[in-house]
Amino acid sequence: MPIELIKLVPWIPLLGAALCGVCCMKPVWRKAAGPISVLSIFIPFLITCGVYSAAKHLNDTQQVQTVYSWIGVGEFQVNMAYFIDPLTMVMLFVVTGIGSLIATYAMGYMKGDRGYARFFMGVSLFIFAMTTLVMADNLVLLYLGWEGVGLCSYLLIGYYYDKPFAVAAAKKAFIVNRIGDLGFALGIFLTYMTYHTVSLSVVTDMARHAVEQGFDPTTADLWIPFLLMLGAFGKSAQIPLHVWLPDAMAGPTPVSALVHAATMVTAGVYMIARLMPVFQLSPYALPTVATVGGVTALFAGTIALCQYDLKKVFAYSTVSQLGYMFLGVGALSTFGGIFHLFTHAFFKALLFLTAGSVMHALAGQLDLRAMSGLRHKMPVTCWLMFAGCLALAGFPFTAGFFSKDTILAEAMVRGTGEHGSTLFFWLAIMGLATAFLTAFYTFRLWFRVFMGPEHFEMGDDDHGADDAHGDDHGHAHEPHEMPWWPMNAPLAVLAVGALFAGLIFSGWMTTNIEESTAQPAVALNIQTDPQTAPAYEIIAVSDQADTHAAAADSHADAGHGDDHEAHRAHGIHVLLKWVSSFIALLGIALAGYFHWLNRPLTDQIAKRFSGVVEVLYNKYYVDELYDLTIVKPLRRLGHGFYLFDQFVINGLVMTVGYLPRLVGWSVRPTQSGQIQGYGLGMVMGMALVALLVFKWAF
Amino acid sequence: MHKAEIIQKVAGLWPEIVMLIGATACLFIGLSKGKGPRRSTPWIAAATLVLAALLVCGKSSVSDGAGALAGLAGYVKLAVAGIGLILLMVAAGVPDQLRQTRDAEAAKDFDPGDLLTGEFYAFFLLSLTGVMLTAGAGDLVWLFLALELTSLPTYVMVATSRDRVQAQESAVKYFFLGALSAAIFLYGFTLIYGATGSTEFAEITRIAQEQIAAHDGHVPGLLLIGIALSIVGICFKIAAVPMHFYAADVYEGAATPVTAFLAFVPKTAGAVALILILSLVGWPLPGAIESLLWIIAALTMTVGNVLGLLQTSVKRVLAYSSIAHSGYIVVGLLAGPAVNQAAGGALGDGLAAVLFYLVAYGLGTIASFAVLGCLRVNGDEAQTFDDISGLHKRHPFLAALMLVSVLSLVGLPPLVGFLGKVYLIGSAYGAGFTYLVIILVLNSAISAAYYLRIASACYFGEPNDAVESTGQFPRYAGALVAAALALILGVVGNGLVNASRNATTPVQAADTNQPVQQTAATSID
Repeated sequence: MPIELIKLVPWIPLLGAALCGVCCMKPVWRKAAGPISVLSIFIPFLITCGVYSAAKHLNDTQQVQTVYSWIGVGEFQVNMAYFIDPLTMVMLFVVTGIGSLIATYAMGYMKGDRGYARFFMGVSLFIFAMTTLVMADNLVLLYLGWEGVGLCSYLLIGYYYDKPFAVAAAKKAFIVNRIGDLGFALGIFLTYMTYHTVSLSVVTDMARHAVEQGFDPTTADLWIPFLLMLGAFGKSAQIPLHVWLPDAMAGPTPVSALVHAATMVTAGVYMIARLMPVFQLSPYALPTVATVGGVTALFAGTIALCQYDLKKVFAYSTVSQLGYMFLGVGALSTFGGIFHLFTHAFFKALLFLTAGSVMHALAGQLDLRAMSGLRHKMPVTCWLMFAGCLALAGFPFTAGFFSKDTILAEAMVRGTGEHGSTLFFWLAIMGLATAFLTAFYTFRLWFRVFMGPEHFEMGDDDHGADDAHGDDHGHAHEPHEMPWWPMNAPLAVLAVGALFAGLIFSGWMTTNIEESTAQPAVALNIQTDPQTAPAYEIIAVSDQADTHAAAADSHADAGHGDDHEAHRAHGIHVLLKWVSSFIALLGIALAGYFHWLNRPLTDQIAKRFSGVVEVLYNKYYVDELYDLTIVKPLRRLGHGFYLFDQFVINGLVMTVGYLPRLVGWSVRPTQSGQIQGYGLGMVMGMALVALLVFKWAF
Repeated sequence: MHKAEIIQKVAGLWPEIVMLIGATACLFIGLSKGKGPRRSTPWIAAATLVLAALLVCGKSSVSDGAGALAGLAGYVKLAVAGIGLILLMVAAGVPDQLRQTRDAEAAKDFDPGDLLTGEFYAFFLLSLTGVMLTAGAGDLVWLFLALELTSLPTYVMVATSRDRVQAQESAVKYFFLGALSAAIFLYGFTLIYGATGSTEFAEITRIAQEQIAAHDGHVPGLLLIGIALSIVGICFKIAAVPMHFYAADVYEGAATPVTAFLAFVPKTAGAVALILILSLVGWPLPGAIESLLWIIAALTMTVGNVLGLLQTSVKRVLAYSSIAHSGYIVVGLLAGPAVNQAAGGALGDGLAAVLFYLVAYGLGTIASFAVLGCLRVNGDEAQTFDDISGLHKRHPFLAALMLVSVLSLVGLPPLVGFLGKVYLIGSAYGAGFTYLVIILVLNSAISAAYYLRIASACYFGEPNDAVESTGQFPRYAGALVAAALALILGVVGNGLVNASRNATTPVQAADTNQPVQQTAATSID
C-alpha cells in the first residue's frame, strides 16, 4: 500500500464525525451513527496495517508527509504535515485498533441512549484529534491535536450534561488541563525561540546531535523540558495535576476506556518519548519525570486500595500505571514506557469495559459493597475481567508483566552499579511496592464482585433499562450477561491482547522504538565540566548498560566496561522478573484471603485502621487542599477583581468608549446629504492637499 | 506603436475582449422579444466570467503591466473574475426586483420574465472589464479610460437598481461627485505628463528618476503635485477622505446587491490605480506623498469607524466600514513592496498585503451585503438593525453567514480578515509606520463595536415579524460562497498569500508567472 495513504488517517474519522453530526438531526438517523463511527476508526486501522511495512523503510524526506502548508509567516513555517516513523505507527495501532474495539463495544453499550449520535460524533472527533496528535510533524500541530483531544474529553465527560456532577467533572478536567497546557504552550514558544523551528524531527535531531557531541546547556535547554513536562503531567494526570482523571469517570464507560485509559492520557508519555533527546539536554528533566512518575504510581496505588467505586478504582489504577510509564521514560527506557503504554491500552480498556458491563447489568450500580458473587449471572464478563486483572496485576507472562518489569528493571539498573543514583534505586523500590499494591487492589475488586455469596443491589439509573441490548427480557430487575455482538466479542479480542501482547510484541516493539526518534541519544563525548558531568552521566552515559537496546553493542567502544555493565543489567532484569512474579502472586493471594475467603476479618482490620482508610478513601484530601489553597483564594481574588473591574475599569472603558462616539457626533454634520456640501468638502480637501504639497515642494 | 507591439498588447487582452463580447451579447439578447433569450442573460454573463478567468489562467506570461509589477494584472484579473462570479450570483435578481420591491402585493404574482433586462448584466460586465484594464494599464490615458469604464456603468446600475426615488437621488450624487473626482485625477495626470513629457509609465519612471537625480534626490514640484492630485482624485474610487462623502448616501440608496458591487469593484480599481501611480516614483515615497497618504489613511480609518458607530441602518454601517477598510488599504500602500525579497509570506510586503486584503475585505463585505439582500421588509429592502433583529430565530442560516462575514471584517481568526490584517499591520510595522499601526489597531477595536452590534442584533434581538426572505436561491448561494471562502481562505490561505506575494515580486524569469496564476486559480475559484 502506498505510504501516501497515511495522510487520510486523521481525516476519515473527521468525516465520520461530520456524518454523525448529520445523524444527530433526525431521530431515525441516529442508529446509523454507531456503524459510521466504527467504520471511520476501523478504516484508518486497516490503512495503518497496510502501510506499516512501507513505513519502516522511509528516507528522511518521505518521513514527512505534507498535506498542505498551513501557516507561513516569515521564517515561521507550520505545515499540516505528518511525521511517520515506527513510534508513530505504534501509536496509530493503539489509537485506531483499540479505538475500533471500544467503539464497537459502545454500539451496544450506548444503544437506546438519547445522545447516541452525539456520543459517536464525539468519539470520531476524538480519534481525529488523537491521530493528529500522534502523527504531527511539528509542535504546533501536535498542540492542535493536544487541545483537540482535551476538547473531546471535555465534551465526552460532560456527555450527561443534565447531571451536575458530570458537568463539574468536565469543567474540572478542562481547567486542570489548562494549567498543564499553559506550560506546554510556553515550552513550544521557547523551543521555537531556541531552535527557530517547531518541526519535531529537526528539533530532536539537533538535540540528539548536541547530546552526542557534548554541549554546554543553555538556560533554554534547562527550561524547555520542564515547560513541556508540565503539559505532559496535566494530560497524563500526574501529581500534582492528577485530580481531574478520577472525576472524569462521570462520562460513559467506553469514554473512560478509550479517552481516559487507553489513549488520550498516554499522550504525555508519547510526547516525552518523542522528544527524548530534548529532555536529555537538561540534567534534571528526566530524573524529575521519573520521580513524579514513581511517586504518582505509589500514591495513586494506595488510594485505589480503599475506593469502593468500581470505576474509581480503575481510574486511580490508571493514574498509577501512567506513573509507571513516566518512570520508564524518565529512566531513559522509552521502550519500557511505550511498551507499557501499549499493553496497558489492552488490559485497561478491557477492565473498564467489563466494569461497564457490570455497571450496565446492575443498572448503574458501581459500589463494590452492593455487589458480590456475580460469577453465575455474568460468567463471560467474569472471566474477561479476570484476564484483565491478571495483566494489570503483572501475573507472570501476561502483558503487564513484561512491560512493567522492563520499567522496574531499567530503573534498578540506573539505580545500582558504578554510576548508580540513589534516586532511581528508591524509585525502583517504590515501583515494586506499587506492583504489590496493584496486584492487591485489582484482585480485591475482582474477588469482591465475582466471588463469594451472590448478592446485588440494583442501581437507580434507568439509562440502560429501555432496550439496551436488543434482547428484551426484564433485565432491569436482574443482572444478566452482555450479548456477544457487539459487546463481548471485542472484549475477547482485548482479553487475548491483555494476556499475550507482552509475549508477542516485545521484540516488535524493541525494533520499532530503536528506529524512531524516541531512542535516547547516547553521549559520545562526555562533558568534562565537573559540575554537570555527574548528572549527565546518569541520564546519558549509563544508557550504555541497556540490555535490550542495541545501543550497548553499537557503542561498546565508548569505554566504561560495557560488557560488564550489560552483564550486570541482564542480571537485574532476571532478578526483577522473579521478584515481581513473587510480589504479584503474593498480592493476589492476600487479596483472595481478605476479600474472598475471610471478609469479616478484613472489615475488622479496616475498622482498626479506620483513620488510614478514611484518609485513603478521601484521596489524601488533595481536592480539599486545592480547594482551600487555590480555588478559594482565587475566587476571593476574583471577587476583588470584579469589584475593581466594575467600578474602576468599567468607568474608564465607558469613558473611552464614548470618545469615538463624540468624535463621530462632531463629524456627523459633514454627512448632510447635500451634494453641494459634499462637492465643497471634496474641493476643500483637494485644496488642502495642494497646499500641503506646495509647502513641501517649493 | 509598431504593429508587432499592438499584436502583443492585444494578445494580453483576451480576457477583456471576451468580457466586452459578453457584455455586448447581453445587451443585444436583453432586447429580444422572447422571455427565454432574455432570461439567459445572467447565464451569458456567468459564462463570460468563467471564460475570462480561464483565459487569465491559461495566458502565458505576457508582461502587460508596469515592469516591476508584471504579475499584478494576472492576480487582479483573476480576483475580479472570481469575485465577479460571486457578485453576479448576488446581483442576479436585481432587475427582477424592480417591480417586486414596489409593494408586497405585486410581488406575489410577479413574473421576472416580464421585465428582465439584459443591460444590467452588460453594465455589470463592462465595469468589471474596467477593473481588468486598470490592472493592465501601462499608460496614463489608458489608466484614465479604464478607471472611467469601471465607474460609468455603476452610475447606471445604481439608478436602475431600485424602483425608488432614493436610487435616482444617489445615482445623481454619485455621478456628479464622480465626475468631479475624475476631473481632479485627470488634472493630476496632465500635470504628470507636463512634468515628464510622456504618458507611458515606464518612460515616466525613467524620466522621473533622471529628474530626481538631477535635483539631488528631490522630486520636482510639478511631478509631485501631479501625483498628489491623482491620489486625491482616485481616493474617490476607494472612498477615502476627503472623497468619502458620497459613500454612505450612495450605498444606502442603491439596491443592496449593487451596493455590494460598489463596495468591491471600484475600490479594487482605485487601489490598483494607486499602486500604479505610486510606483511611478517608487518606494520609499517622497516625503510629501508619504505625509499625504499618512494623513489620508489615519483620517479615513477614523472617520469611517466613528461614523459607523452612530448609524441605525446596517447598510450605512457597512458603507462606513467600507470607508474604514480603505484607510487600512492605504496603510498597506504606504508600506510599499518588500525591501528584502527573500523573506517568506506577505509580511513586509505592503503591496501584496493590499492585494490580499482586497480579496479578504471583498469576501466579508459581499457576504454581509448579500445576507441583507436576502431579506425583505414589507416589500422593501431590509436596512435597519430592527430588520435583522432576531434573524437567528427565523433564518439561522443567514444569521450564521452574517456572523462569519462580520467577524471576518473585524479580523478574528481563523477568518480571512484576520490574515489580511496581520499582513497589513506586519508590513506597515516593518516599514516603520508604528504610529499608523497603533491608529489602525485602535480603529479595529472601534470597528468591533459596530460589527458585533450587527452580530448581536442577529442573534440576541427579538425576531421581527415583518421580515421575510426574498427566496432568491442564487443570492443565498452567493452569500454562502463568499462566507465559506472567508473561512476556508482563513484556514488554508497560504496559496492566496503566495499568489499576492508573487504578484508584486519583480519578474526575473518569465516562467515564474505561470505557477503564480495557478495558485491564484485554486485559491480564488
